[in-house]
Amino acid sequence: MTRTTILALVLAACGRSESHRPAARDIQLRPDLSHATQADLATELDQAERRGTWREVRQRWEGQQLHWTVTRHEPLCRSASACNVAAFPVQQPATHGWLPELSFAPGELEKLTAACGNEDCQLEFIGTLSRLELSGDLPTSVHLDHVRVVGARKG
Amino acid sequence: MKKRFLTIAGLSLAAGAITATASSHREAPMIGEDQFADNTDVYAFISPTDANKLVLVADYVPLLLPQSGPNFYRFAEDAQYDINIDNDGDAVPDWTYRYEFETAVKNGNTFLYNVGPVDSLQSQNLNVTQTYSLWKINRKNGSRQRIMSGAPVAPWNVGKRSFPNYEPVALQAIREANGTKSFAGPRDEPFFVDLHVFDLLGVGGAPTTDGVNVMSLVLEVPITELAKGGTRPTSTTDKTSVVGIYASASRPQIRILRKTRDSDDYGKMIQVSRLGWPLVNEVIVPLKDKDKYNRSEPKDDVANFGAYILDPEVPKLLNLVLDAGCPETPSGGRTDIVGLLAPNGTKPADLLRINIAEGQTNAQSHFPNGRALADDVTDTLLTVACNNNAAIGDGVNANDKPFTTTFPYLASPHSGNP
Repeated sequence: MTRTTILALVLAACGRSESHRPAARDIQLRPDLSHATQADLATELDQAERRGTWREVRQRWEGQQLHWTVTRHEPLCRSASACNVAAFPVQQPATHGWLPELSFAPGELEKLTAACGNEDCQLEFIGTLSRLELSGDLPTSVHLDHVRVVGARKG
Repeated sequence: MKKRFLTIAGLSLAAGAITATASSHREAPMIGEDQFADNTDVYAFISPTDANKLVLVADYVPLLLPQSGPNFYRFAEDAQYDINIDNDGDAVPDWTYRYEFETAVKNGNTFLYNVGPVDSLQSQNLNVTQTYSLWKINRKNGSRQRIMSGAPVAPWNVGKRSFPNYEPVALQAIREANGTKSFAGPRDEPFFVDLHVFDLLGVGGAPTTDGVNVMSLVLEVPITELAKGGTRPTSTTDKTSVVGIYASASRPQIRILRKTRDSDDYGKMIQVSRLGWPLVNEVIVPLKDKDKYNRSEPKDDVANFGAYILDPEVPKLLNLVLDAGCPETPSGGRTDIVGLLAPNGTKPADLLRINIAEGQTNAQSHFPNGRALADDVTDTLLTVACNNNAAIGDGVNANDKPFTTTFPYLASPHSGNP
């Protein structure tokens, strides 16, 4: 076997090996977060602030479909396209991303309004985390799209 | 003994206690190092002389001593000073009025601001002058219209020897184009407060902003120029019947200091200061986020800073230090404050909102529906923040100089040598 052939085989092997790596990384970076709560995201954001791993957190979470329960305060949520909800109790706010912004799927805000009117409301929803703006220098912004109401009750 | 001051209004007999601070004067660490770009207060009211016009005031460069020569205060040449208007309730600006300044020195071989008495803006004795361009920018499509160019900035009120009759000279700086009036220059600081608040809430009616000046931008604009669709709304309850206003200042991203010549600026403009309501960044946003607040946009205020509004620190401090009797934050948070930031179903944000519908008059322009110059916003906000059914205040209830009834409405600046 010539040196050239050996080199070609080594390169080919490396290429195959490299081609598998992204898949492995994908598995590591994009786990199933459908059962992850806002507390899980808050924990990762706190860690990101200490470790500088903002990009990794964004890669893990952006695009994920999430199933959360939050509190809807009517003055913060009057529009289907711009509704902020409290992901944590008022007295125990998270450091980052405490009031995510929701964009409802058609007809979904009406369901919420029908259930709770203008009163505070426990909102269980499914939505896609479409935008997660993170850095150490700007406030964290969490946006969920295509939000569908799973349940809503006053209180 | 702890110093207290208390005013109780109405029927309430509850004991209240007081705190206050300058509206947004040196309120954040970074802007505290950039005085010329520091936005201190915003006012908005229907014009007292023409109910079809809205008056917008944006003050910058805080707490200026009148005798501050030889380099008297001015606007920064490398900054953009913006007055931003949202007219559809989404907390995103639809219009921006932008001021850009230039400085000229007639004779660089003297240290003097003026080389003799000044009786007009054209006086050759006025050695240091500023002019500005005023742009109206459509934020939806980015188009820009220059409304004024080469407009003069009113000079500093150096003293009686330099300006034997200052105010008529200063008022020569008023310009009008297409129905829009503009004034830029020093004025008496219109915000009144007891700044002893920063000595552990030790306020007691001391008028600490008396006798100082500020740099003011004043606009009087036809309401139809600002309203959505160019038409003044007829309903007072529609989302588009309120406009939301905030002022901001931006600096170039990069400055290179050189040993051999003046510095160079490069890069895009970065917002370094903003203000809508009085006192929000000052006493609601905590230290760790104050600079972030100045960099961010009102549309993101709830997502970014909503926690501080829903559970504000002020009533806790009032209770802790002055035993004020403010109730604890309810479990759902202070949604009453959020509601004040979101009239007519608009998106909550730190914007000074004012109703511009047909029939609105100057008499209705009082905080939080706009903000008149004479409004005691410190007392109003303390009362709202504490929420114990007692009207509380800092004991400073009026400006040291009366406001005027004609444009630019702010009082003449204090003289450096009265």
